[in-house]
Order: sequence, then structure tokens, then C-alpha cells
Amino acid sequence: MMKTVQKHRNQWASELDDLIRGASGGFLFGIPLIYTMEVWWIGSSVSMVRVLLALVLTFAIVFMLNRTAGFRKSADSDPRDELMDTVEAMAIGIICATFILVLLREITLETPLNEALGKVVYEGVPFTLGVALANQFLRSDESASGGEGRNSSPKSSNGAQKDTLNATISDIGGTLIGSIVIAFNIAPTDEIPMLAAAVSGLWLLGIMAASLLISYAIVFEAGFANQRKRQQQQGIFQRPSSETIASYLVSLLAAMLMLVFFDKLNGQDPWQTWLSYTILLGLPATIGGAAGRLAV
Amino acid sequence: MKGNVSDRIESQNENQRLKRPPRSTAEWTTFGVASLVLGTITSLVVYSWATDGGRPPILTISRPEPVRSENNQFYVPFEIVNAGGETAESVQIIAELKRNREVEETADLQIDFLAENGKEKGAFVFTQNPENGELILRVGSYKIP
Repeated sequence: MMKTVQKHRNQWASELDDLIRGASGGFLFGIPLIYTMEVWWIGSSVSMVRVLLALVLTFAIVFMLNRTAGFRKSADSDPRDELMDTVEAMAIGIICATFILVLLREITLETPLNEALGKVVYEGVPFTLGVALANQFLRSDESASGGEGRNSSPKSSNGAQKDTLNATISDIGGTLIGSIVIAFNIAPTDEIPMLAAAVSGLWLLGIMAASLLISYAIVFEAGFANQRKRQQQQGIFQRPSSETIASYLVSLLAAMLMLVFFDKLNGQDPWQTWLSYTILLGLPATIGGAAGRLAV
Repeated sequence: MKGNVSDRIESQNENQRLKRPPRSTAEWTTFGVASLVLGTITSLVVYSWATDGGRPPILTISRPEPVRSENNQFYVPFEIVNAGGETAESVQIIAELKRNREVEETADLQIDFLAENGKEKGAFVFTQNPENGELILRVGSYKIP
């Protein structure tokens, strides 16, 4: 009886793992296009035939990707399974894209149905590709290095402090590099001021919460490469929650500096502008930062 | 000998890796929900394709709120709705304030996109009180994307 319960729980836990890995891949791949207003416009103006065609094409491409990659840990051989995985990848992609579009106020209750559908489907494409590539570009290493436990690295006491400092610096460095790689493309564009006009007040808090959640999911939940190493990483970043928050602050700082660098923010702007621009660019910067820490 | 054993273990591992266990309840649940999401999106797309029927845009402007005056400026709020089927791009809205049949002031504004049932709000600003004259709000032009 106990065993069945245990198995049951494992099954749900591993399924949740797979889904989170897929969603994380989707965010990594999809976020740059979410911050591209031309894609919203295509979604607003395109005819429904084209939207339908986009759905069919995405399905075909993702099906082919799933034959080689996929977001699940187990390798596939059966086309029927791959077909089902494709349906799931598209659903994850569409849900994630919708979530971000609603968060950024690009889809509201007042948005007409076909405009919302166009935006969701077109923005869903890069997310779906990200889901399908999740295993490929950030492969899981959980099965590869099974033996090492969390506490397997007892350090000698005089070396420990230096290691802690080095680990912290490498974490900050990884976060900064990742943030810059993703957010540097977005910082000089007009999307940030445009989004800032639509997103205000409580929605900014929502974006902060989403940034933290996605960053946490990418680094600690998704089972990507290096995750095991991450969990043993030394330094002031060592606890998952404090690491997530600390790296969010680093990403926010990087986002703000990039905005200043591109003259999107200057001394004459009111603090509200500084706040909203930084938080809005902070979302892609944090996602990049999370990927950067995995790469270090 | 030793190599044989490790070979066998390796090939066993390979088999395990390649063979996917039958779908668990959790995986079936995910698939069910996923199909529902994808099915809903697809049928909504088909539905709005079937209903738009290629009707051209029908643009109407209304003034839902009264004129507001602030610091000697007069704000005229307006609302534009596209009741047609197709999306209108670059919708030009023109406001003219006439007094004694002469145009005293004009203002114009462009809206990027107005989809089917799309609604946009905005305001024109005049320096003279529109109540004392004749105010005309009209759509000047649009293009099909």
C-alpha cells in the first residue's frame, strides 16, 4: 500500500518536473520575442486563416523536433508518443505565452477575441519551440551523475572561505553575463517604454513575482544540466531562495545599467519611470541570468 | 571477460533508456489537459475565421464622457469601435471645431490597429470650448493590413 502511494507520488512529481522543464525552456527561448512589438502587431492584424496555418506549421515542426529532442527525460521511439508530446509542448507553449501576454497587459479583458488569438498563437510559436528544445539545449544530467550527494564536498576550513568567495563571484558573473546576453537586445528598443505605459501598479508586482518564480524554476526545478552542481554550489548564494533573490537583484541592477547606457533612463526621468522600466527589463534579464548561472 | 560484462550492462542501460515505460496516470492527465487547451485554441481560431466572413471594417466614433476642462484646455474624450470583421490599420481620426461655419481648430490622431470588435479610447484637446461651437469627430482613413 505504502509502495503504491510512493509510486503514485513519484509519478506526479516526475511529471511536474517534465512540465516545469518544458516551461523553462519555453521562457528561455520565447522571452526575446515577447519583447518585440512587431509580433504583437502581426497577431493583431493577421487573418484567421494565417493563424490556423501557423498552428499547423508549428505542430509539424515541433513533431519533427520531438523525434530528436523533446522535453521529457525518457527517450521516445514511438511516433504516437511523439504526437502526444507535441500536443503537450504546444499547450505548454501557448499557456506560458498567454501568461506573459496577460502579465504585460498585451491581452486584457477588452482585447477582441481574434486579436488575442493571433497574439497567443504567434507568441506561442517561440515558446513551443523552446519547450521542444528544452532537453536539447540544456540537457538534464540527473542520470549521468547519480552518486554525488548534496554534502559530498567537505572543505578544509582554511580553504573554505576562499572557495565561498570564488563561488559567489562566479555566480554573480554568470548572472551578469546571462542577463546582458538576453537583455542587451531588448534594452535599446521601444518596447520597454511602450510596455511601461500599459503596465502599472500591482501588475509590476506581478512581474516581479513572475521573474522570481521563473528564475527559480529554471535553476532549481527544471533538472537542466548542472543543476546538481548548482545545488552544492558554495557561497552566499547557496540557499535556493536566497540565490534566486540575490540574482534577481543583480539582474535588476544590470537591467538598469543597460537602460542608462542606451539613454532610455536619465537623471530627468521621475523615479516611477526608473522603477517600471527596470522591473520590465528585469524579467528577461533574470531569465538570462538564470541560464547564465547554469552555464557557469 | 570484464569488458563483456560492462558491455552487457551498457546495452541493458541503453535498452532501459530507449524503451519508454507506458504512460502513467499523471502523463495521461497532462495529455488530457493539453489536448483540451490546444483543441479550444484551434476551435476558437476556426470559429472566428468562420464568423468574420471577410466583412470590411465598420468604424464608429462616440463620445461616452462629457468634455472636461482643465487649465483653459478642453478635453474631449472619445471612443472608437470597429464593428466590422476585418482589422483596420492606421486608423486616422480627425476632430474639427467649427464656429459660424468656419473651422477654428483641428486635431487628429492615428490608431495603429483596430481588430474586429476592437475598442480604443482617447481624447482630443482644444483651447476653445467645444460647447460654444460645432464639434465634428470623424474617421479620415484606414488601410487593410
